Amino acid sequence: MNGLPEHLGTIDFHNHVYPGADGRLDRHRAEALLEGSQRLGIHRICVSRPLTEKSPSPTEIRRANDVVLEAMAYHPRFVGFCFVNPGHASEAVAELQRCILGEGMRGVKLYHQHVICDPVQRPVMAWARETGVPVLMHAGKAMDRATRRRQPRLSDSRHFVRAATMFPGTVLVQAHIGGGGDWEWNLRALECRPGTYIDIGGSVVDAGMVRRTVDTVGADHVLFATDGSLEEGVGKLLDAELDEATMRLICHGNAVRLLRLGGA
Amino acid sequence: MFDINVAVGHWPFRRIPHQSAESLRHHLRRHGISGAAATHTHGLFYRNCHDANLELAEMLAAHGDFFVGIATLNPAYPAWEKDLAACVGALRMAGVRLAPAYHNYALGNACARDLVRAAAACGVPVFVPHRIVDVRQRHWLDTETVVTPGEVIALARAVPEARIVFLEYPVSPGVVAAADGTVLCPNLYVETSRMVSAYGQVLAAVVRAAGPERVLFGSGAPFKEVMPATLKLAHAELTEAERILVCGGTAARLLARTPGAGP
Repeated sequence: MNGLPEHLGTIDFHNHVYPGADGRLDRHRAEALLEGSQRLGIHRICVSRPLTEKSPSPTEIRRANDVVLEAMAYHPRFVGFCFVNPGHASEAVAELQRCILGEGMRGVKLYHQHVICDPVQRPVMAWARETGVPVLMHAGKAMDRATRRRQPRLSDSRHFVRAATMFPGTVLVQAHIGGGGDWEWNLRALECRPGTYIDIGGSVVDAGMVRRTVDTVGADHVLFATDGSLEEGVGKLLDAELDEATMRLICHGNAVRLLRLGGA
Repeated sequence: MFDINVAVGHWPFRRIPHQSAESLRHHLRRHGISGAAATHTHGLFYRNCHDANLELAEMLAAHGDFFVGIATLNPAYPAWEKDLAACVGALRMAGVRLAPAYHNYALGNACARDLVRAAAACGVPVFVPHRIVDVRQRHWLDTETVVTPGEVIALARAVPEARIVFLEYPVSPGVVAAADGTVLCPNLYVETSRMVSAYGQVLAAVVRAAGPERVLFGSGAPFKEVMPATLKLAHAELTEAERILVCGGTAARLLARTPGAGP
């Protein structure tokens, strides 16, 4: 088997597009992503363009989201997620309105500017709840000093558990269980508080990780994703040897439900 | 298909499946792998790591038709010369692994170079893993030091008669485009498990830059799932001749003893 079976209609819930030197969509790279995904049986690709700086400005964020809008116009297989910095609350909500209500993006993407349970997130979380779109949050339980130094506001499962209480009704998705970090810690911390969704993306392909994720949060809360690591995402999911019903949920059903894609 | 990067034994910081040779062999066979070079996992933590080599020989004894053993040696510990002779002699190991972060020395130290020279004189390659596990998920008692490509390149250049195998080679499209020294170093071999194919064709680019006779298929099992590695190979844009070499032809040449080498 060289990829996911076509009949699953797999959706990659977490991936990215990038600008070229001119600041516009890097079409060559976008095309490579489309082609690589096709090879591996991935039909649709959720893409965003998060900025990793401590506090990106509203202007920079608009430019980043414009790259995603370009990708959506370039190919219908791209599903856009809108990146915002909750530290600029009114501008963040205005950008969500522009990109999601105005331009058809399907979700919110947050990075490590603030942890997910920071009260500064309230306006964005309230808007996402009222609009019914999911919030995909960069996450991990970093155990090394270099990552902790680079990402002091990285959200782990404990932050998600608090956020679930603070923002009831908002759909929270913890990004890339295989994104690097103590994934076992992150799963154990969710055992007593189900409800958070997890995507399986990231370059880490530890044996047993996907199966443990499904066993912990339930198949209806796990989303197929790669975060750019295509063979890793597909390979670790296939190696989990899940039954057909579970595969349908993880590869397609859960994403369709959250993104309101209507089975597309 | 021959897997150059597997291990048997127990990892103290996480439950690893397929710890025994029997179980790992069955697991690899299910993925179409017909042979593998195996190191000893928990031997990394023995002060006197030659005991791990004795254990590894016992673990693999009934599986000589599938596994070849790769010894673990510590050049900063006494009597490694005697251990090397035993490993390539009576224990019939096909290579030597160095793990500087676990044995408290640096790859650039004179003792490491002495060991690599001695391994070359015996006709066996030296395996150097970039890391055993991703350090971002390290246990608080585990190391967060990795072996960098620069350290491996320096070693390969310092001991040109040695054959060095860089496992878990961390390579990106940009590195290949910049003609990274790892690719260009003639006595350096690289393992494929972290080279993407479907989105970037890095594996194929490394094969083109280094030649298929210096690229070896590896999975990292049982720490890692196997299918990501086999998918990378399946989607790599290689000629049939290149694929045959990467899948096992190169490993067969590498692990064959140099004629006339002792002991």
